[in-house]
Amino acid sequence: MKSVLIKRFLLACFLIVAASALTFALVAAAPGNVAALIAERAAGPGADAEMIRKIGDELGLYDPLPLRYARWLASAATGDLGVSLRTGKPVAEEFAARIPMTAALLGGGGLIAFLLSLTLGIAGAASNGRLADRVIHGFSLVGASTPNFFVAALLVIVFSVTLGWLPTFGTSGFQSWLLPWATIALFPASVLSRVVRVNLQEAMSRPFATTGFAKGYTRSSVLLREALPNIAIPYLTTFGAQFTLMIIGSIVVETVFALRGVGAFFIDAIRFRDFVGMQSTLLLFIIFFVMTNLLVDIICMLVDPRIRRARSA
Amino acid sequence: MTSQVEPLYAINDLVIDLYAATVSVRAVDGVSLHVMPGETVAIVGESGSGKTVSTLGPLGLLPEGVTVDVRGTAKAGGKDLVGMASARLSQMRGAYFGVIFQDPISALNPMLKVGPQLAEQARRFCGLSHEAARKEAVSLLARSGIPDPEDRYNRYPHEMSGGMLQRAMIALALAARPKVLIADEPTTALDATVQAQILELIRQIQRDNDIGVILITHDIGAVASVADRVVVLYAGQVAEEGSVLDVLTSPVHPYTRGLLASVPDFRAEDRVEAHEIPGLPPNQIKLEPGCRFAERCEHVEPQCRVERPPLRTIAAPGTPHRVACPVVIRREGIAVQ
Ligand SMILES: Nc1ncnc2c1ncn2[C@@H]1O[C@H](COP(=O)(O)OP(=O)(O)O)[C@@H](O)[C@H]1O
Ligand SMILES: [Mg+2]
Repeated sequence: MKSVLIKRFLLACFLIVAASALTFALVAAAPGNVAALIAERAAGPGADAEMIRKIGDELGLYDPLPLRYARWLASAATGDLGVSLRTGKPVAEEFAARIPMTAALLGGGGLIAFLLSLTLGIAGAASNGRLADRVIHGFSLVGASTPNFFVAALLVIVFSVTLGWLPTFGTSGFQSWLLPWATIALFPASVLSRVVRVNLQEAMSRPFATTGFAKGYTRSSVLLREALPNIAIPYLTTFGAQFTLMIIGSIVVETVFALRGVGAFFIDAIRFRDFVGMQSTLLLFIIFFVMTNLLVDIICMLVDPRIRRARSA
Repeated sequence: MTSQVEPLYAINDLVIDLYAATVSVRAVDGVSLHVMPGETVAIVGESGSGKTVSTLGPLGLLPEGVTVDVRGTAKAGGKDLVGMASARLSQMRGAYFGVIFQDPISALNPMLKVGPQLAEQARRFCGLSHEAARKEAVSLLARSGIPDPEDRYNRYPHEMSGGMLQRAMIALALAARPKVLIADEPTTALDATVQAQILELIRQIQRDNDIGVILITHDIGAVASVADRVVVLYAGQVAEEGSVLDVLTSPVHPYTRGLLASVPDFRAEDRVEAHEIPGLPPNQIKLEPGCRFAERCEHVEPQCRVERPPLRTIAAPGTPHRVACPVVIRREGIAVQ
């Protein structure tokens, strides 16, 4: 178990390096010139070619790509992510202010998706083809096929504009988080509730479920005691995948609800050709992806006795 | 068999139709059978003959996904399981019946430890305290022939061998101190060396606890060694039933005779080599009026295809010997009551 964990961790580190190298190369290949941008800022539209060259030389922009990547990664490892071309502030400082915002969005949304999907999935399986099951199925189909900018607009129109219950944007306390959380949680909650429902149904047709009935449990008890523990692995795996996807959702949700998080920073960086900001945010996203997956893998190993106790057998 | 003793489990004129997505099957067609206290009844028949559905169907223990329509009666403890409210039926399943399934590896939940499940049963149905239930569970594991039961108590199924798991399954089935034990092919999935041990364990448990055992099997050797009575099912109907001695040594129904002849080592002096019964069991989707075995029977007469052969009781002392074949009874001049 311990050696497996070490192996997984090393693999995760390798993945981070490999993926960030790839994104570094892609961003470097994107149209636009950092030196020109800086020169323009300094001297207005009249920046001449000489000045651009000089700035580029100073920044090492004309060095070979692998060298630039190595230099960037080394300084990133020390916490120096460079200075945002858009805001003029160190990216590390931006992140320090913005990561808590995105963490709150993803944490709340993830928790809602977790609770809602389990509740709906179990309720659907318990209802087993009757009305509640079909209503929940319908909800999850709609939820999984509605883009989140549309969900956001709809929620704002209903709860903010028409009913006036909740604020349209900003971070003024718990209430202001409800609409962003609902928006970002809808898609994963819909997908995951189907995963719960389908896997529970499959588990209920397995022989151990019949044993559960033979032990004298009612159907709902068999569902919770026998079937539910058996869907832990597929559920957690899908949850991990959905949770990482929520970072993509945060780009839209933070923009729509004017949350000053990492997602909004990323989209602004793209808009303003802030290559430094873009690069750093992508690194952050990659670390989030890889570490979430590593965490899910570890949780799955701990949850499944066949893996957890593999060595004591 | 005295007349005051009630059967522990008695199904009567049971008809069970199964409706799956595209087909419907009459899996059980008018079966009656019972088990008395302290008795072991074997149910034999080819795969698909309705052994599982007829015994476990009234308990509501068929896998999900098929719609089950049950008619007739299935009496246990003075109550009819057919039409019983599902909460009460669950209670009956837990308290009155213990069930052992064919494959212990798939029948035991991979995510649950073995021992605590036993303790839970003892607590729920025997009113034991938490501590007492744990002790009872360990003792049950020990009585089921599991070495080092204290250690096994906290084991998951994947940490035990198939034979040990079947012993654990037996312990689980007994944990609520049931009146009736139903063992559905309990040795089919096990190694030959373990099979005999498991059968011996079931027999010993039956003696120790004076419970009724229904043993579903197609192992004629198992029938001979542990059962008191045997019921032969063919295509959802009873072909023949009686004491093990009567049915195994003087079978009457052509299907029973074929079944015994197809066992290689049974009555080896009579039969030099095993005979297969020619043909296949009928498709139970279309319901023919006459004898289900007619298509494969060497004694078939035109009458067989028209009328369902009634179960007749052969005149003999002791346990009634019933046969659903008037043709052989007539041809061989067997006396009936
Ligand atoms: N889950 C099921 N779905 C559809 N048909 C079934 C199912 N289980 C049993 N049957 C049908 O019911 C009949 C009796 O099956 P069963 O009682 O399992 O036979 P046995 O236990 O004697 O092998 C068979 O014709 C079989 O095809
Ligand atoms: Mg069967």
